[in-house]
Amino acid sequence: MSNANPPSPPPVPNYTGPGSPRDVPPAPGSLGVDPATLPKPIRDEVQAPDPVAIDTSAAELKDGLNRCPKCGSTEIRQKPGSDELICLYCRHEWQGMRVEEEFGLGAGIDQLEGTVIASGARDIAADAASMMTFKCTGCGAEVTVNTENAMTARCHWCRHVFGVNEQVANGAVPDAVLPFHIKKDDAVARIRQFVDKRRLFALKAFKEQFTPENVSPVYLPYMIVDGNVSADVAGHGEIKTREYTSGSGNDKKTYYDADVYQVARHVDFTVDDLPLESSRARGNLDTRTNTNNIINTILPFDTKNAVKWNASYLSGCSSEKRDSNVEELRPRLEDELLSIARCQVEASVEKYDRGVRWQQERLGVHGTRWVSMYLPVCLYSYHQPGPNGGMLHYIAVNGRTGETMGSVPVQQWKLLMAAITVGTFVETIALWIVGHTS
Amino acid sequence: MSDDGGLWLLLSGPASATGLYWALYRYYRNTDKSHAFERETAVVAKPVTGTDQKVDEIKGTRKSRIDGDNVSEYRQRVERIPGDSPESG
Repeated sequence: MSNANPPSPPPVPNYTGPGSPRDVPPAPGSLGVDPATLPKPIRDEVQAPDPVAIDTSAAELKDGLNRCPKCGSTEIRQKPGSDELICLYCRHEWQGMRVEEEFGLGAGIDQLEGTVIASGARDIAADAASMMTFKCTGCGAEVTVNTENAMTARCHWCRHVFGVNEQVANGAVPDAVLPFHIKKDDAVARIRQFVDKRRLFALKAFKEQFTPENVSPVYLPYMIVDGNVSADVAGHGEIKTREYTSGSGNDKKTYYDADVYQVARHVDFTVDDLPLESSRARGNLDTRTNTNNIINTILPFDTKNAVKWNASYLSGCSSEKRDSNVEELRPRLEDELLSIARCQVEASVEKYDRGVRWQQERLGVHGTRWVSMYLPVCLYSYHQPGPNGGMLHYIAVNGRTGETMGSVPVQQWKLLMAAITVGTFVETIALWIVGHTS
Repeated sequence: MSDDGGLWLLLSGPASATGLYWALYRYYRNTDKSHAFERETAVVAKPVTGTDQKVDEIKGTRKSRIDGDNVSEYRQRVERIPGDSPESG
């Protein structure tokens, strides 16, 4: 056998290097190697169908009040699988208003100027506590809600359900909420299907402990941003004018002649509903220490269908509180806007068949509009023990579209053995060819 | 066979082992995935404008692409020119 055996596992991808979320993600379903060249068991696993994402963009959305508008009860839940609220006492079902129409969020993006911040996206007061105490409007008792992870509580005296609805200085109450559309059974099935495609080299302990029924519905905080932007990019591009070979036999070499151009491009554009994580922990996509990029991947949501905030939608679900303000998220927004600009100008430089080297870029942000929103995610997690606290692997299902993404821990020795076996096989053929041609 | 060609052939074993390792690692761990906001965000753009000026000619290079080609690397940031007023160049 030759030196096909790597002495140790290759280093884990860097946060900024190839194979990190800083890469433009590959097209859905692409693997990087041709599946036809892989051994059958691996090929079968890779080619098994993915969980299908459903389109909910046409679904009509509904909202409700804190009390049932018909009987006044506070036993209000979201009707599973729909966007309606239902009163558990009188079975009355009702609908609410989409923030898109209510606040006119979809219109006039090209007229945006300055920074428009919706009331729920205002800066978090420095001294605001996440633990909040309210006087129950039913009986006058004091009820405490920890807004770090819940937005509803039950009064322990009169059994009224109490929701945090008024916008408070700690940033826990967003402008809008997008209710869950995916039922738990559906999420479980999608997670199971996702993992079934990745069993061959999965960590043994992960497979043994795999219980997708433990998936938990969570509302995660996001800022939904509209922007009115101009961008300029400048650099050099090359057009091939001639291609020729010189030399003969084994010394044949290909040469190119090219014209070099100074290229500049300008584009004005608007973006509608760009989602940004407004929780610092979730916004950290360092794949060396966490798997938050999994939750980032299941974006976007059909945020056009978000409804006015109502804590009743969060009954039975946990939530995470927003802890980032608009100004903290601005660098990330500008980075994404520049990426979008570069994507927009790509088609205009297609004639440069030897590529373009962009060297300078400029972003002019004319106006932005920020709306804070709770978006629904079904999360399954597995903690892999290891140095520095190990790694928390997530499998996330978009609570609206069902888009599923996950991180399955790998059994390193198994994966290495497979790679070495295939490498040895290829090397044997190579040696045979070299031996028979020299 | 030339030494060069033989060497490349001998490297195909380790290369395929490393390639398969990384392809499967990414398939399981999905470390290279993120929100493809460039493709998945609703963007309304006015027509792209700009200038193209020939500045040089290259003769007899062996490289098939321009040095530092980043036309598809949207997320690779380059020198940022400050200022809000759009101007080309």
